[in-house]
Amino acid sequence: MNSNFSQPQRQSLIGVVVMFADTFQGTARALWPFLIVWIWKINEYNKLYIGLAVGGVVLLVALVAYLKYLNFTFFLDEQNEEFVVRKGILNKSRIAIPLDKIQQVNINQSFIQRLIGVHALEVDTAGSNGKEVSIRAIKESLAVSLKERLLEGAEDVVNEDIEDNADTPRTRQTANKPFIQISFLSLIKTGITSNYIRSFAVLLAFMITIFQNLEEFINVTGYDDSPLDDYINAEVLLKFISFIVGAIIFLTLIVNLVRTIVRYYNFRITKQQNGLLLSYGLLNTKNTIIRPEKVQVVTVGRNYFQKKFNLNDLKIRQASGNEANDKDQKKTAIEIPGCSESEKNVLLQFLLEKVPEKGVAVKPNFRKIIFESFKFLIIPIGIYFLIAFMVEPSVKEYMIFVPIYGLFAATLIYFAFRNSRLFVSDDFIIKQSGAWDVDNDYIAPHKIQTISLKQFFWQKGSDVGIVTLHTAGGTISFGLANFTKLNELVNYWLWQVETTDKHWM
Amino acid sequence: MEEPFINETIDTSQLPKYEDVVLTPLHPSYFKIIIFNIGLVFAILAIAAGAGFYYIQELEPYRIIITIVYIVILLFTILMNVISFKNRGFAFRAHDVIYRSGAIATTTTIIPYNRVQHVAVHEGLLSRKLGLAAVEVFTAGGNSSDIQVPGIDKDQAEKIKYLLMGKINPQQDEQQL
Repeated sequence: MNSNFSQPQRQSLIGVVVMFADTFQGTARALWPFLIVWIWKINEYNKLYIGLAVGGVVLLVALVAYLKYLNFTFFLDEQNEEFVVRKGILNKSRIAIPLDKIQQVNINQSFIQRLIGVHALEVDTAGSNGKEVSIRAIKESLAVSLKERLLEGAEDVVNEDIEDNADTPRTRQTANKPFIQISFLSLIKTGITSNYIRSFAVLLAFMITIFQNLEEFINVTGYDDSPLDDYINAEVLLKFISFIVGAIIFLTLIVNLVRTIVRYYNFRITKQQNGLLLSYGLLNTKNTIIRPEKVQVVTVGRNYFQKKFNLNDLKIRQASGNEANDKDQKKTAIEIPGCSESEKNVLLQFLLEKVPEKGVAVKPNFRKIIFESFKFLIIPIGIYFLIAFMVEPSVKEYMIFVPIYGLFAATLIYFAFRNSRLFVSDDFIIKQSGAWDVDNDYIAPHKIQTISLKQFFWQKGSDVGIVTLHTAGGTISFGLANFTKLNELVNYWLWQVETTDKHWM
Repeated sequence: MEEPFINETIDTSQLPKYEDVVLTPLHPSYFKIIIFNIGLVFAILAIAAGAGFYYIQELEPYRIIITIVYIVILLFTILMNVISFKNRGFAFRAHDVIYRSGAIATTTTIIPYNRVQHVAVHEGLLSRKLGLAAVEVFTAGGNSSDIQVPGIDKDQAEKIKYLLMGKINPQQDEQQL
């Protein structure tokens, strides 16, 4: 507590640079259609006018940035227990956040902020989305003490409420040492072993495009009656395709690798007041706090290579204040890449209070294969043939891709079926799924909000169905499986939820 | 407070079974609303088609096909809605609410009361005339996990609302997050 926050204060003066960059970015984004036109016609205009216009815009942006800086103040209202931010040049606004509504305080650093040595402080509140406050430029020491102060206020109120909840001991360490650190080597390993499915999709799309262009090229050059057959013999084609495939695999590996390293460089996990502080990033440093009581679903994923390398990918989904849909939930999941088996267990222990053990396994019914084949094989291929023979005969030329796709989809369906399991124990529900990347979703039963069961009318006779567990951090579905068994489990989970005194958040 | 260690075996077959609960069907008057809604949509379609037949000469050869398709879709919609109406039902148990719906796929949704965030009672123009209301139960699990039970007698809907409020309020007082 080396700083006094009770008086309104501005951001760091050097923060004007950040404001300038932000405003400039915003302006450029708003004006880009015009910009493109101007650049296109750059020779038609007088260079002097262009220079003047650019200079004028830059000056205007600088002025706006400076005014933004002048008009942005923040302070802590000790009496009302509120954090108050005033901002706006023409439309003034005053945002007051009650300290007990503060969920998270993140300290981040973008590339520009790193260059000038300031940090951004973001305050996340429960509910009321869009009202979050972000201070764009603040000195690190100030940011840290402000954050401590803000969370302290929130903490006090929370603790009054959950006094009896003693199983989350408050470990207040002043000198925090990271207890898990993802090494550079692990990141490299993760980079080259993840995202194969996505890479394969890109590869397939790319190959089809190449094929198409090649054909057009051949058509243009006048070999219209024999598009591919005699012009390209088997050997050349094979060489060509293998070259392309090799190049694309290499490229996607590099892209994945660079992306992983830039995003997760120097990943440190520190224990902090009731939570985990994650900080990572090469260019943009991100700081995020995970609170175990807010964690709803933890997903541990690994593929065959990652298993050999002893790597796990953790995805943590927390309860969000606003009601987001499932897709958004997946996007906002916090990812911890490249954890070893022991690190994974330490994290699970911390987030879920104990290392989950796989309980009784529930297997899917073989009808799942039929159902999935229908969805991913029969319907798409059927549509393809329908188009090929009824609407657009030219797509017949891509017939060669039908067996490739069929084989690929069939393999995925088979492995997805083989990996699909639901493990149920007293403390956890674990859903295992995936064909190549095998994911394990962990849910504690008391995090369940709603259970729904779905059964198509033709599935009544064969007694199969799908169960979906809704949590505040996304849903988990399992099926097709024996409906009697699922009903039994649902009754058990309902009993667990209805008798527990644990709160879901 | 350390929880006392209890670990007795639970006989899952002895637990109350949600699937054995006899669900209350929706109020018979609610079917009138369904029929009215279908009638409205198809009347508008029929008027549009009639106008088309009258003014656009090119439609002449397709008249019979359009009429047949119209009738088939109408019958199919009615059939689906009849099945769906018969399928729907709800039950408010001591600890949770069960709602079943759907025609082709039957979906049963169960929300324990201690996970309910808030409750809303909706009244449409037509349902108010018929003395009906819909009860919507919200959880923190997002849109897909909420349930809306239509076709409940207005008084009963209010009672249900108060029942649920009574169940969820004591919890929210201590929660305050």
